[in-house]
Amino acid sequence: MGLDPIGYKPWSGERTEHGRRFLVVAESILRHKLRAKWFLALLVIGTFLVHIMPLFIFSLIPHQGLEAEVMRNYMGDGLYFIFEVILVALVCSDLISEDLRSNSFILYVSRAMGVKGYLLGKWTGAMITIGLFTLLPPLAVAIAITATQSGSDYLGSLAVIGQTLLAGAWSAAMLVPAGLAVSSLTRKKTYASVGTFMFFFGMMIVAGIFSGLSQDWSMLNPSEVLYQSHTVLYGLELSESVNRYLLGAMAFLLTVPPMALVYYRIMRKEVGK
Amino acid sequence: MGNGDFSKDGGAEHTITARDVVVRFGNILALDNFSVEVPNGIVGLLGPNGAGKSTFIKTVLGLVSYDSGDVRISGMDPRTDVMAIRDRVGYMPEHDCLVDTMTGLELVTYFGRLSGMTKEDSIPRSHEVLDFVGLGEERYRPTATYSTGMKQRVKLAQAIVHDPEILFLDEPTNGMDPLGREEMLELISRIAASNKSLLISSHILQDMEKVCQHVIIINGGRAITQGPMSVLLDQGRDRKRLQVRGDPKALLAFTDQLRKVREVISVSEEFGQMTIILVNGGPSAPLLDMAKLHGVQVRSYAPDKLTLEGAFIRSVTEGA
Repeated sequence: MGLDPIGYKPWSGERTEHGRRFLVVAESILRHKLRAKWFLALLVIGTFLVHIMPLFIFSLIPHQGLEAEVMRNYMGDGLYFIFEVILVALVCSDLISEDLRSNSFILYVSRAMGVKGYLLGKWTGAMITIGLFTLLPPLAVAIAITATQSGSDYLGSLAVIGQTLLAGAWSAAMLVPAGLAVSSLTRKKTYASVGTFMFFFGMMIVAGIFSGLSQDWSMLNPSEVLYQSHTVLYGLELSESVNRYLLGAMAFLLTVPPMALVYYRIMRKEVGK
Repeated sequence: MGNGDFSKDGGAEHTITARDVVVRFGNILALDNFSVEVPNGIVGLLGPNGAGKSTFIKTVLGLVSYDSGDVRISGMDPRTDVMAIRDRVGYMPEHDCLVDTMTGLELVTYFGRLSGMTKEDSIPRSHEVLDFVGLGEERYRPTATYSTGMKQRVKLAQAIVHDPEILFLDEPTNGMDPLGREEMLELISRIAASNKSLLISSHILQDMEKVCQHVIIINGGRAITQGPMSVLLDQGRDRKRLQVRGDPKALLAFTDQLRKVREVISVSEEFGQMTIILVNGGPSAPLLDMAKLHGVQVRSYAPDKLTLEGAFIRSVTEGA
């Protein structure tokens, strides 16, 4: 170290728009995760176990076109949900907790993005990263099935591809907020990842115990909420036993309050008011 | 100007003005009718722990909302123009705040982009500011491996990467060795030389005395003293400090006689040595003759030079 006899030089470039700066945070998260070997390993294993087999099976079996029910069942598979939960638990674990531990969030929120821009960036980064498992492979499966169909109703298949796009994005959107919320409750990423996994696992256990008393309790199971919400997104009929209000309430509870909690935690604990 | 104003500063342009600002955290009054005018140049923000320095900086940055009063930064209101203000402001926090997993270069580039720089601009600019702060090949190492001095340099680099008009530096020399401190002060002076406003909060008053042109002293959520450093330190110009030793009775008689012929401001005694502060109003020969007459030994007779530390302690104790 040591100073060179150089003066301070001003910078005179053009600034980017405020509303787009959250994308820098999202890009950084994606780049950081893609450099992590554990993430790549998990993504490859998960894609192989969950997506590659259906891609071959559904493409090779003679079919008239891409059916919404086939896609709903494939995306409602238990293995798909388990891998998604593991990915959310690991990807989201350090997104808030590490910033709280290192105090680096102050560098974000003191810039022209604020707490909302910071959170939007973190959420978007997590969504894109999880989308590599929940969105891109199902889209590839849907396109492969469409490409090998024997029928001529390509418009109908295209509609299902669009629904798959929504279903894949919703799969990530439903679980990411809880991952971020748990991450904001601790300064250790290990606790955050275990906590997120246990949160979803605990809900599944409670739902399993009490669903014997009433079918409504099954709506506590996030896997069931995801399956039933996919049913809605694919335009299929919900079963009579499904309480539509509870389904809507659970979809809301898993997405909005966790993000509000993260916002509150940062404002309260770290910004100071 | 607000409370404790000790001088006009010649109508200097003010980058930040706060009038009667009140900030509460529940029952705690963090800023109590806080009024300051921060001019261009290097301004020292001094005060004991919990005085309200960080709250003021967070208020200016729009991180903390104020209950009443008015704040302007380059004429803008942090309530309505918060994003525009933050683009013009750089902030170097006191505590560790670096992202451990990033290298120094990655971190400065990243926060440059978050301040509105494009990727193409932020990379060469980051190298430029890292060169400026004196961080060499270490910039390619993760910040988790940095020494305190290196961390302070990277914190400064991320604060200046987007070339802000106003810089808030919170304890910039904290934890640095003497050479590192000198270099940091040199950097601060160089930045200020390019027509920037720097607001520096620090407990190391010797450092502040070296670089600051203007001082604001805060206590109990109020600005109790503010004005140019030269005027603050010049307050002792018309006073002299006389230190004498001798028999207690002789010292008493000497001070009684002295009060009759000179204006005495204060008399204090410590370990048998009496310190008398008096107004500089006449030749020294009669005073020395008087001491000789009373059998008192004069140890020193010199202008009462006020240091920033002395001014700070006096302001805080008088304002308490």
